[in-house]
Amino acid sequence: MLILTRKAGESLYLGDDIKVTVLRVQGNQVKLGFDIPRDLTVHREEVYLRIKEENLMAARATEQDFFMATELWSRKKKE
Amino acid sequence: MVQKKERVIHSRVGPLHVEQDRLILFPKGLVGFEAQRDFALVRLREDSAFFLLQSCTDPQLGLMVADPYVYVPDYRIKISTVEQELLRLRNIREAVVLVTVTIPPGKPEDAILNLVGPLVINIRLRRGMQVPQNQLRHPPRLHLAGGGQTGEGPPCEPS
Repeated sequence: MLILTRKAGESLYLGDDIKVTVLRVQGNQVKLGFDIPRDLTVHREEVYLRIKEENLMAARATEQDFFMATELWSRKKKE
Repeated sequence: MVQKKERVIHSRVGPLHVEQDRLILFPKGLVGFEAQRDFALVRLREDSAFFLLQSCTDPQLGLMVADPYVYVPDYRIKISTVEQELLRLRNIREAVVLVTVTIPPGKPEDAILNLVGPLVINIRLRRGMQVPQNQLRHPPRLHLAGGGQTGEGPPCEPS
């Protein structure tokens, strides 16, 4: 892992078109600013990992559970 | 008579005849399955809110998904301008929202809806994307059998 030290107000570039600026450091929190290409999406790691795990779980349900749930919850529509 | 074009997809629940208009392209794949682009959205029961989102190229990869609005009528998500452009959404009426479902093994009655990573589909272009929610105003998971999201929302008791 590349490790760099930056002060608040300083920036660094990832390649030519991604600029990361350290805006503020307070206690154990860092506020970062990103100047990035418009088609790039940025996500918090914990959100990303959570969704990845949920996708795996959604794909892992057994065939039997899958059909059972479809049956069971077909009657659950709003009354 | 106009015959709808069908395609046979090999799914985790056997071969399925899928109408062309049920095929969806996910240009960026799904989170954790970035290489999978082509999916079919299959309704296994006409009256169910649950669907199978089946990869057209990997028969083993089929995700259980559901229409969240049956259970969370006020479910609100944020789709950034970039994501709207990637989906080529012209207006919000073109968007269909689905969420993944987790079933604890052997306990289909304890199904859970995952609200943090909704799948948004442009129904006009059949183009989809998973849109992570960094700031969700709902609890992240809805236990269907548990009577709603931490006490809120309509109860969904098995009948």
